Amino acid sequence: MDKLVIADRKFDSRLLIGTGKFASCEIMAEAIARSGTEIVTVALRRVDIENENDDMLSAIDRSKYLLLPNTSGARDAEEAVRLSKLARAATGINWVKLEVTPDPYYLLPDPVETLKAAEVLIKDNFIVLPYINADPILAKKLEDAGTATVMPLASPIGSNQGIKVRAALEIIIEQANIPVVVDAGLGLPSHAADAMEMGADAVLVNTAIATASDPPAMAEAFKLAVEAGRAAYKSGPPAAGRKASASSPLTGFLRDE
Amino acid sequence: METLKINGVQKQFSAGLPQTLTELLKHLNINEATVVAEIGGEIIARQNFAQTELSTGQVIELIRFVGGG
Repeated sequence: MDKLVIADRKFDSRLLIGTGKFASCEIMAEAIARSGTEIVTVALRRVDIENENDDMLSAIDRSKYLLLPNTSGARDAEEAVRLSKLARAATGINWVKLEVTPDPYYLLPDPVETLKAAEVLIKDNFIVLPYINADPILAKKLEDAGTATVMPLASPIGSNQGIKVRAALEIIIEQANIPVVVDAGLGLPSHAADAMEMGADAVLVNTAIATASDPPAMAEAFKLAVEAGRAAYKSGPPAAGRKASASSPLTGFLRDE
Repeated sequence: METLKINGVQKQFSAGLPQTLTELLKHLNINEATVVAEIGGEIIARQNFAQTELSTGQVIELIRFVGGG
């Protein structure tokens, strides 16, 4: 079977789902179910002590889905390490999606602080899945440091632009010996299929599903696209050419020449 | 007046501090099972909430999971 293997753990689904921006826990839970995912990301925030708010975690069946806490909101390595430790204390899980995004406008990840945090966390027995810009050298350095994956962006988080860093992403995929999970910016199922056809091992989608008019239906559309893209990649797609190449025989026309 | 700084906000306890972290969470109507706590930058394991005694002036962070990508 064609399984996704991250840190020795096997997954049938190659679609990771983010849980932000859903209108309700019920819609989120249904979208998660329809997506076929086995890994869902969550964030950590201060409890609003003035207004009791719902606990969204109760909507996620943890016997079915691996919870992948992220370090969103961290602006440097120190904050990311602190958030990772809090997440581990909360869940007992040592997996973390490492995000260090000091720039609030484009939310681009800081490569220096991300590598620094990854090194600290790996020493502390975390399984680290770092969110990075599509930088092949950084991807290699993180792999060498011992991260479980690399998670390069397709375009800025939540921008729905699809793959804007194609050439760099191709190099990352070519050189990686760990799974490459394309994260951020995939706005349509076709974008997800695109990444999978390129040879990405998995994709992570949040905004495109959560903010669709019908999130569960969109989740299923992404599921199908990821499966189609993976199947196409495994089938060895032929190269694109500039000229036509007839699909029908050119001989035996009804004319004399 | 006894105070705690909880999630960045100074809270005054005119009737005295809750004795333990568990009692503080009850006082705030927060389900203990859903939060993770830090006191003075140190993470407190959930199984130790009931034994963790509070003292005035402590800086407490109460954190929980929310949706995120």
